[in-house]
This record gives sequence, structure tokens and C-alpha cells, in this order.
Amino acid sequence: MVEEVSEQKIIRRIRTYINGLDEHMEGGIPEGHATLISGTAGTMKSSVCFNILYNEALKGKKSLYVSLEQSYESLVQHMSNMRLNIHRIKLLPIKDLTKINEVVNKAKAGDTGSIIIADVGCIRNEIKDIKLGDNRSWLNVIKNIIKKMKADLNCDLVVLDSMSALYVLSRFENPRIELFYLFEFLKSMEITSYLISETTDNGAYSELGMEDFLADGIINLRLTPFRRNIVREIAIVKMRATDCNNDIFSLEFKNGQFQALYGGQNPLL
Amino acid sequence: MKFTFGLKKIASGNKRGRILEQWKFDSHSSLLAPPIIASLTKNKSHSIITGTKDGKIISVDLDANIEWVFNAKEDIDKMELMFLDVETSSSIQASPNVCDINNDGEKEIVVGSELGNIYTLNSKGKLLWKFKTNGSIRGTPLIADINNDGKKEIIFGSGDKNLYALDNRGVPLWKYDAKTEIESCPQKVQNQIVFGCSNGEITSVNNKGELLWRFKTKAKVLAQPISGKIFGNEKEVIIIGSTDNYLYCLDLKGELIWSFKTRGAIYSKVVLADINNDGQLEIIFGSCDNNVYALDSNGEIIWSYETDFWIVAPPLVEDIDGDGQLEVIVGSYDQNIYILDARGSYKLNYVPGVSSVMQQAGHYTDIMTEEPGTITGKKIWQYKTEGIIVGCGYINETKSIIVNTKTGKINKLTHQD
Repeated sequence: MVEEVSEQKIIRRIRTYINGLDEHMEGGIPEGHATLISGTAGTMKSSVCFNILYNEALKGKKSLYVSLEQSYESLVQHMSNMRLNIHRIKLLPIKDLTKINEVVNKAKAGDTGSIIIADVGCIRNEIKDIKLGDNRSWLNVIKNIIKKMKADLNCDLVVLDSMSALYVLSRFENPRIELFYLFEFLKSMEITSYLISETTDNGAYSELGMEDFLADGIINLRLTPFRRNIVREIAIVKMRATDCNNDIFSLEFKNGQFQALYGGQNPLL
Repeated sequence: MKFTFGLKKIASGNKRGRILEQWKFDSHSSLLAPPIIASLTKNKSHSIITGTKDGKIISVDLDANIEWVFNAKEDIDKMELMFLDVETSSSIQASPNVCDINNDGEKEIVVGSELGNIYTLNSKGKLLWKFKTNGSIRGTPLIADINNDGKKEIIFGSGDKNLYALDNRGVPLWKYDAKTEIESCPQKVQNQIVFGCSNGEITSVNNKGELLWRFKTKAKVLAQPISGKIFGNEKEVIIIGSTDNYLYCLDLKGELIWSFKTRGAIYSKVVLADINNDGQLEIIFGSCDNNVYALDSNGEIIWSYETDFWIVAPPLVEDIDGDGQLEVIVGSYDQNIYILDARGSYKLNYVPGVSSVMQQAGHYTDIMTEEPGTITGKKIWQYKTEGIIVGCGYINETKSIIVNTKTGKINKLTHQD
């Protein structure tokens, strides 16, 4: 028996806050999607993600940035340099797992939106003597932080920076299976997640290759030489449930705003 | 080539009756391993004992009434809890083992938990003692008198990479550092303890925990080794599957006798039974290539039967309809219980006068140059449950099959004419 397809569901979307790009993807990334933000070093992957959380926080939303490489201080400094007015939102670091409830309480106080930054490097320094075993892992720590933030703060926007660092930290024994369960976990939590994926110039969008298939969307950033300069470019490689334009745009950041533009590379040459 | 000319084995009369569900018990948590069925005290009928994903050990009687529940959940330090998968942190991943370990005339239940504890309960589900390791215990503990002192010892592997031997009061006797996680249930084979390791090794230690030999496979070994005299003589062998897709037959020095390749990982132990009355033990096991296999003692396939999904639970070989012939009972991840004719079914592919017949020079008659048919797996009954089947148990007295499913249901099935 063939089941009748139910009526088309209205998809709510989260903007990328890249002017000129959201318009080419029906307004943004569908809520609940796990999207790879891939690119080589220096392509502003972290900045693009942080910018999304920042703009959502301006609207009062609470979100989580899991930083596995950069420290909280370095990240905040970086964002200040981008001229994001971080005083308009609450930036709350998790540096000690025993104080996670204090962070939750601070985020709950008032209506101001917040970005909670889990500084995993700092957390690791705090707990040097923990014995990791077959059932104890840093991946569980990250999942448990995400679960707690979702349960206590209804935090449904998460950035994981970066997948490469996660692989080093978690020492996946069977990456194919463990990645499948990680993506299943993110979807089951009903959160919109941005997974920063470090790539090289070999054309792949992820380190292990299988993330491309598991992710709902891929946004690729790259650097392209243009005359005597380097141009940043951005493209929507894949976005499920979205009618999107897969053209390559040049990406600029001016006056605290990202802008995707035609041109820069071949089209206007 | 071996000619067995199976024509004599064709006859396998049509089986009658059907499989009916007697009751269904909801444990309200996922079940991850087969149940254990045992009479815990004298003059008492059987109990069905099973562990759950939320950390409970439940004992129910044969009418699905709860006898007792033991909660293996532990208070965990908040910091430690962050490093654990909260949903499975207290889970019971393997079947308990049941034995009278203290000679009090009643059977005790010994079970390991994901948190790394071994619990020993009395027949009423009260904790007698527990022992903590630093890794998950995902295999059923072995209970055996390994040092011939007249007392039972408890031997089990842990995610902390050690194989432990405890006395019957939970006092450690020795531990063997395998340098890799141990998820397989150990097996006593004469004076050896044989177990599988996560680095792909099958390891044997003596009753003092000293290494005897190792055999290397290409992937994790999670299944329990099974030993038996499969050749019909005094020679005992060890049979164990690996997640490298192979089933291995080793001698007691760890030397390979034969191996059999399937197309999927082998997670569970084999069953040895004489399924065709030839006086030798055959080997029956399931694989994640969806098949259940019956092999002869030389590792040659007798028959196989394909289900629709992985077979992770160990099969059972019993006579469930009381006709004096054995059946193979196997649960699949496709949610079905399959009851197969243990002897298989002979399919003739020889057409007299046409196929595989030749004149041999100097001989006055036709000879057949190959087996005129093949034995295939033959399904007798099939029963669909509500979830992925993680294991079955069997109650001989009532000829009932107890089925554990991942959805948390325990089904009691029986054959009825």
C-alpha cells in the first residue's frame, strides 16, 4: 500500500546573516539541519558561524559555541576585532564543568540573548587526572553539554569548532559508525548545528569524507588567488529541503557585515 | 570430494502446528542481551532473569509476574557523569550468569554493568557483594572452579583492559592485563581460560592468569568461545567468531584448524549439536550477513538460511514440538524468530539419466560424479515480534521460547498443534 504524502511542512529557517547568500537559499538554513561549514585555513569559517550566533543573540536567542581549539579569550578578541558589539549580548564561558549550572543561571537571568562558549581546551586543563576509558570520552562531554544547554536554556543553535579537533580528541575507533551516531544525536536533539570542517585544497569538504553524506547541508569557503590578491569565496554545495543557488560568490566582510557578491573570480574578468 | 549422497536424508516430514505467543512482558526499558532461565531455589519453577538498559535486573516467573527487581544504578559524581553517555551509563549489556557460587543450595546471579561493576545477588535479588573495575563490563561473567579448590570463581573481562578472577566473595585472585578492552565472555576449556579481545586477539591464560597463547584475527572478537569434541573423538577444539567475518576453529594450543568465511561480522557464540544424528557435533551460528549457518566438523557448510537482517543473538537448538527432531531457533534484527529444521532440506538437482552422469571407461554402469543435490536451510515456522531480537532463552519443561527485544518486551512463545 502506498501511503499518501502528507502536506508540505512549512520550514523555518535560520539566516546565515551573509547578505546576498540567504536570498539564494530561501532565506537561510532549515531549522534542525546539521550543516558543514567547510574550508581551508583563513576562510573565516569560525567568524561566519560566530556571526550567526551573534545576530541570533541580538534577537534574544541563547546558543552554544563549542570551541575545541581556540580559547574563550582568543575567540572573544577575534570577534571584537570584527567590530561585533559583543557588549550587546551575554558571552558566557564554560571553563569548568563543575560550574556549568552557574553559567546556566547567568544565561537565564534577563532577556538579553547569550552565546555560551564551551572552552574545551580550558576544561581539559582543569581536569588532568580524569581516566578516559571505553565508556568515558570527551565526545560524551560535548554531547552532555549540548543536552544540558538544550534542556535548561532551550538552546537550539550549536557550533562545533572544529570536527578535526574532535577527531583528535575523541580518537574515533570506527569513524563511520561513530560519526553516524554523532549526526543522529544532533538531529535527535532538534538543534540547528554548524560543524566547522577544516579542509585542504584537495576538493573534499570534510576530513573523513563521510561527513558530506551525513550532513544536511554543506557551505564551502575557499581562498582563490585573483591578480595579486586572495579572494574569499563561498558556495552552497548542498542544502537539503532547499531550492538553492550553487553559484560561487565572493565573500566580503565590511562594517561588521558579511556580504556575498557575484564577481571576484572569473565572471567579471 | 566428499560424497554423502543425501538422498537418504531427504525425508523430513512436514511439521505441524504453529507458534503462539503466551504472554508479553514490558520491562519499560531497552533490552540488550538474551535472558537467563534458571530455577534459583530448590522446589521452585524457573525464573526469567534479564538486565535492562536503564540498569535493572528483573526476575519474572513463567507467568510474567515480577519476582524481584534489582536496581544497579549508582550515584555518580557530577563531573564523572559528564564523561559518560547518560542513557547507557548504568546499562546491563550482557546476560547475567546464574550458579550456586557459595554452596548454600540456592543459585546466585552474577552480572556486570556498563559502569564497570560486577554485582552478585542472592536468589531473591538482594545484593551480596559488588566489585568495581575501571571499564565497562559487556560480557557475561564466567562462573567456574578454575583452580580445582572446590569453590566457584568468577572470571570476566573489562573495558579497563583486564581479565579479572574473583573468589566467590568478590575478593580478587588475579588479573591479566590484555592491553586492550575485553568485551567477550570468557570460557573455561580444560585448564585454560579463553576469551576474545578488542584488538582482534583470541587469548588463553592459565588458572593463575598467565598467558598461554594468542591467536590474531583481523577485527574485534566479541563472541564467547565455545569448546567441544566436534570430531567425535577425544580431541577438543575451540570455536569462536570474530567481527572480521570469520569463524575460527582452533586447537587447545591456539593453532588454526580451519576457518569459515561469512560476509558479515560474527557477534555471538556458536551452538554445538548433533543435528543430523551422525555422531559428530555440528556448528550452528548466526552472522551479520543475515544468515544462520550449520557447518560440519571440518568447517564445511551443511546449510544456511538467510533472514532479512543481521543475526546478532546466539541461536538455540532444541526440540520445540516434541517430535524427537531438533529445531534451530534464531532471532534476527528483522524482528522475526525463525524456527528451522536442524537437518535442513535436501533439494535434488539431479535428474536421473541427464545430469552429472557419465560413462566411466572399464566400468559397466553409470556413476554419479557429484552430489545430486544440496542441503538448504528450511524454515518451519516464523514469528514476528515487535522489535529487534537481542536474544532468546528456552524452557525445556514447557517447551517455550523466551524472546528479548530491544524495545523492552519479553515474549513467551510456544509451539501448539
